[in-house]
Amino acid sequence: MSGTGSAQTPSERRLQKELMSMISEPPPGMKVDTEAMGNELNHWLVRLQGAEGTLFEGENFMLQFKFGPKYPFDSPEVTFTGENIPLHPHVYSNGHICLSILTDDWSPALSVQAVCLSIISMLSSCKEKKRPPDNAFYVKTCSKNPKKTKWWYHDDSV
Amino acid sequence: MSSGQVTQPQAEIDSAAAQDELTLKQQEAIDKEISSTIPLVGDRECVTNLLPEYESDLVYKDKILEISKTYEFFRRMRPDGNCFFRAFCYGSIERVLGNPGAIQEYRDRLVASKDILKATGFTQFTVEDFYDTFLDVLDKAAEGLAANELLKLFQEQSLADYLVVYLRILTSAELRKSAEFYSNFIEGDRTLEEFCQLEVEPMYKESDHIHITALTTALGVGVKVIYMDRGLGGQHEFPDPENIAPAIYLLYRPGHYDILYPKGT
Repeated sequence: MSGTGSAQTPSERRLQKELMSMISEPPPGMKVDTEAMGNELNHWLVRLQGAEGTLFEGENFMLQFKFGPKYPFDSPEVTFTGENIPLHPHVYSNGHICLSILTDDWSPALSVQAVCLSIISMLSSCKEKKRPPDNAFYVKTCSKNPKKTKWWYHDDSV
Repeated sequence: MSSGQVTQPQAEIDSAAAQDELTLKQQEAIDKEISSTIPLVGDRECVTNLLPEYESDLVYKDKILEISKTYEFFRRMRPDGNCFFRAFCYGSIERVLGNPGAIQEYRDRLVASKDILKATGFTQFTVEDFYDTFLDVLDKAAEGLAANELLKLFQEQSLADYLVVYLRILTSAELRKSAEFYSNFIEGDRTLEEFCQLEVEPMYKESDHIHITALTTALGVGVKVIYMDRGLGGQHEFPDPENIAPAIYLLYRPGHYDILYPKGT
């Protein structure tokens, strides 16, 4: 239907569309770092801003997205990276995030934008800046890929 | 080492990580086993082929024999949680094959269904690939796709998954569109929005009455479900038997749907 004639896979085509949309109409508080990306469609860096009026106001974060060949059927691997990892009860100090839409509740109807919005909203609803109670243990034992963790989702009200 | 710090013995640490990987691997192995033995959509076969599965179960045996009086054939779906959506999709396209008027009508409904998505705020790029794939299959049907070719298309995971996603998104959009009505049927203290995000949009989540009601309403295609379980069984027509006659017949066994074919069809 797109008629581009290129040999893009469905997953690349979808990522291309998402990228164009993020660049042309960036949603508030997020920006794709295209300079750091190079030509790799399957590896993105997205800058996030802590929302105004929340505990994270004025802070900047970097999210790393890695996409497999089955995206959007498989969820992307999403972690915080860089200097500033938000101090939040669902974010481990190694950047891993405990958020159900990133594994069990992922849906192909979601997108990079939807994931970023969920993460901003998760940060915004935080009432006390602290690490998850099992941070030390998890960070020592986890796989590099957070999707390999069998997550037990914490209560959403935190 | 500073005192007061909690340290975990190394062996325990290794085993926790190993346990996670093992659980996931076991699940993957089970999924692989199912997908290698049962096609996404199977061939049409006699309803009485179900009998050997219930060799020592008189209740179920009787029910199969009873059902086989009205429905001669059935078509198995892979039990992967998407079975209702795939059965609906396959059944609804199969029945219009070779009937240009009916294909056009289906196409019109599909085109109209995109407005429901728009009105409920789904971003275009997240739905258009799925929508285009669906439209493409209907266009192939209009060009004279044969029944065995349709079956082949549905046995391709990537294509079948695209169609399932479109129907899941459409179901979610229909629920959101009439949120006030459907909220009455959401159990527990979840909101309709949460229900859509957790039980409708993700792949492999099983379908219930509410999914069937929403999808059959959105596309105007009636479904009759024949229940085969330990309860009273019976049957139910969706969305509303007074206005829409059933076009597709589904056999329900706990947690699973297959397609049924009434005698003479």
